[in-house]
Amino acid sequence: MRKPAVLTLTIVVAVGAVAMFFPFLWTLVTSVSSGAGLSATPQLIPADPSLDAYGELFDNTPFLQVVLNSLGLAVATTLAQLTTSALAAYAFSRLPFRGSNLVFGIYLATMMIPIQVLIVPLFVEIKTLGLLNTHLGVLLPGIASAFGVFLLRQAMSAVPRELDEAATIDGAGHFRIFGTIVLPLIGPALATLTVFAFMSSWNSFLWPLIVLRTPELQTLPIALAGLQGQYTTEWDVLMAGSVISVLPMVAIYVFAQRFVIQGVANTGIK
Amino acid sequence: MFRSTHLTAAAAAAAVIALALAGCSSGDSGNASDGPVTITYSNFISNGGNEENLETIVSAFEAENPDVTVEVTTLPYADYFTTLQTDLAAGTQADVFDIEYANFGTYVKDGVIAPLEGVDTSVYRESLAEAYASDGTQYALPSSFSDVVLFYNSDLFDKAGLDYPTSDWTWADEKAAAAKLTDQAAGVWGDYQPITFYEYYKAVAQAGGDFLSADGTATAFDSPEGIAAAEWLVGKSGTVMPTTEQGAGTPDYDSGLFLEGKLAMWHSGIWMFGAMADAPFTWDIAVEPGDTEKASALFSNAVAVSATSAQKEAAQDFAEFLTSSKTMVETRLDAGWELPPVADDSLLTSYLDKGAPANRQAVFDSLEAVALPPIAATGQTEMQDIVTEELSEAAAGRKTVEEAVSSAAQRVDAVIG
Amino acid sequence: MTALQSPPASVVVRGAPVRAQRPTARGLGRPRRSRLRYALIVLAFLLPSAVPLTLFTLVPMGAAFWVSLHEWNLIGPMKWVGLDNYVSLAGDPDTRRAFGNTVYYIVGYLPLVYIGGLAIALALNSRMPARAFLRGIYFLPVVTSWIVVALVWRWLLNPEYGVVNYALGLVGIDGPGWWTDPAWAMPSIILASAWKDLGFVMVILLAGLQAIPRDLYEAATVDGAGWWRRLFSITLPMLSPSTFFVIVISLINGFQVFDQVYAMTGGGPAGSSQVVVQQVYDLTFRYGRAGEASALSWMLFVVVLAITIVQLRGQKKWVNYA
Repeated sequence: MRKPAVLTLTIVVAVGAVAMFFPFLWTLVTSVSSGAGLSATPQLIPADPSLDAYGELFDNTPFLQVVLNSLGLAVATTLAQLTTSALAAYAFSRLPFRGSNLVFGIYLATMMIPIQVLIVPLFVEIKTLGLLNTHLGVLLPGIASAFGVFLLRQAMSAVPRELDEAATIDGAGHFRIFGTIVLPLIGPALATLTVFAFMSSWNSFLWPLIVLRTPELQTLPIALAGLQGQYTTEWDVLMAGSVISVLPMVAIYVFAQRFVIQGVANTGIK
Repeated sequence: MFRSTHLTAAAAAAAVIALALAGCSSGDSGNASDGPVTITYSNFISNGGNEENLETIVSAFEAENPDVTVEVTTLPYADYFTTLQTDLAAGTQADVFDIEYANFGTYVKDGVIAPLEGVDTSVYRESLAEAYASDGTQYALPSSFSDVVLFYNSDLFDKAGLDYPTSDWTWADEKAAAAKLTDQAAGVWGDYQPITFYEYYKAVAQAGGDFLSADGTATAFDSPEGIAAAEWLVGKSGTVMPTTEQGAGTPDYDSGLFLEGKLAMWHSGIWMFGAMADAPFTWDIAVEPGDTEKASALFSNAVAVSATSAQKEAAQDFAEFLTSSKTMVETRLDAGWELPPVADDSLLTSYLDKGAPANRQAVFDSLEAVALPPIAATGQTEMQDIVTEELSEAAAGRKTVEEAVSSAAQRVDAVIG
Repeated sequence: MTALQSPPASVVVRGAPVRAQRPTARGLGRPRRSRLRYALIVLAFLLPSAVPLTLFTLVPMGAAFWVSLHEWNLIGPMKWVGLDNYVSLAGDPDTRRAFGNTVYYIVGYLPLVYIGGLAIALALNSRMPARAFLRGIYFLPVVTSWIVVALVWRWLLNPEYGVVNYALGLVGIDGPGWWTDPAWAMPSIILASAWKDLGFVMVILLAGLQAIPRDLYEAATVDGAGWWRRLFSITLPMLSPSTFFVIVISLINGFQVFDQVYAMTGGGPAGSSQVVVQQVYDLTFRYGRAGEASALSWMLFVVVLAITIVQLRGQKKWVNYA
């Protein structure tokens, strides 16, 4: 692209970025405005700057414990979803079988019913399995994701079949084609799923709240919600919690981006 | 009574497969015989700052009952009832759990809470104990109470040269003062009262009307008194009180406005005392003004024992300790955590000298004429939603007050009948 | 390796149906043992996801259907009512309003979020300073909770002193009442939702864009194709699997819109932004009418399923698989 065009584009994108950044800035500022209520108009200069709210998070919650719990669950969920989704996506994209479309349709159908009506049956089920108040009970319903299968299937569909045909001629089986040819070529999609899978577990609220009862097992969003009273909201603490929740995900996304760019550069597609 | 048989059956098939995954982590269901027992208590009342105070009460109970261990689960109020509903559906509720007055009838009717035998109800405030009894049987015990009073900013009254509100005030007095205190140019409002079901049923009582018929199956508020009450609330919006566009209804807007010294009178609960403690001006409270009658809102929390608890005796002991022990009274008063539901007012004297507001006596004076929330035969929450929605329509000027009241009555009748 | 060479741009578009032909099943027509082997391979790839999805979604869905045939407040005993819940919901104006509002939401939201997300993805896929940082910024709203976002947007769209109406006022337009006005509540939600989800669409489309081989563009540039020509003849066709994904997922999620409605308007004013899932939530956990909530969810399910099937059928016409 021409230089002036790049400049114009950069300026437009940067202005847009300010609009995208603004709510987060407000969050950040409120989180360091100690004891502040939430005025109807956002204040972008902290009224009385202090890190009290963050201190309160550390003092009033078993903070390290809940962060570790959340992190463990999120990592486990992400790894599980990446594995189960990539395998299924390969089947739908590379292994034709009778009823494939129907099965894929059923996968998609699992996303189409509101979670609100599934919670009670699912809870009864987890209870029957003896998994109430365990991390396994929180984790299990999230180890497979139709979203992930669909995302990776689309990505695999864009990988040229000629590559696996060549490998087949070389005597490679499906597991080898899956591992050495298809997976390395869908790096961007895997990175995307990593971000979304991590996010879904990290932010998950209602389900862990209902399943987990022991304070030591609780996750970050539940601990944060516990700081809010029935009648009043401590906005600085709420916003500090929000900042702490958001940052790891943005970090993961930016990190994943780096990995993606390298991934594409290394695939040999030029 | 096994309520979720069908769901359990549906889940059983799943169970077989997943048992392999689960290993053999069987639940530790308590033993009904003597010896050490563990009971569970699920609550929202201590959430958001009173967890340690609850712990004090629990420890005192455990010290008195060395055989009993209490496991406490604390949930945020906003999510407590979703969790409780799920637990009740699955039969996994705690031995002792918090309930609200509005749901009490349903729990009794569906048999999920155990009748409490041999409770000495004379230690509780009579009206509170009665509220949780049904046909002469006690089903739950009040754990605290609070009421709604008129907060006022004394400095703003001084500046306007007006007398402070007293317990003799009527709507007319409040209205006149609010008009004089409102200074929109300076961003100062004379009055604030949420336009919701909870304010409306009380206003109906203040106007001398009834909200529901005696059996709770039909509305009675489409009456001159009901319309007067709606006009009283709706008429404030945009004149002496900010509109929705101006911020009303936004979370914590009203408390923020009062704290900033830009609100002269505020109808709110005594649970806000703590949040207002640091206000940089003088403020006090008065019994809410009435119209033809006095009527103050009285709210209470309560605890019940699960009907399926394996440790009903220990559970009931704990429930009684939690709601009537000396430790509880002292802990609550020291912490400024909602008021103990005890009958003996002499236990509460220390509350009167706990600092601002000075006129804490108004908290007790309000109890002389209370209006309990009307309880519909069914569809309680829907009734509340409909009333709030219709009144908001009137406040926004999209309906006349008469239209809103009549439409609310029709819609509520269709739901609760 | 036709896809990697650079055919004339038009062939890429028209060639799609040709390439959509799949290799026939390897196992079919082979000896029995080989077919068994193939079936086992398929199962090995599918079961790790199929088992949990069956156990933890399909079984609860079945249970929800069972509940939908009952009157149940979650607490008391279940009472069999057959299809009564469906019949009464079908005749209930509240149901029609909720479905109407939900469709309204999707119709407004989808074009905004897709075109906006595509523009950002294209912009952030070109070389520019601090690109990774900017991508992170655009991703921020996706991960910010709706509680915070709703507060911000209620303020931006405040009819009296919000920034948006202030800006409209500068150019002589008297701004509407936004979320306080029944006619404008849904547009307010659409605007906030599209803004929040731009980053989501951007992330998906960026991943798609990054997978497009560079040499396609180089060849097209050599052939003298301009920016728009390259967009329509290379980028969009090569991006079509990602686009298909975004549209299918956005429709599935859009029909279940809830968090933003709950946080911004609570369904009001006067039910003007009440949507299906908000109704489901109220019925289940607030009104103690779990049977109707399940029935309503199944009605929603059938609608979304039908729409998705139509999309799956129609994809051959425009989605360009390798």
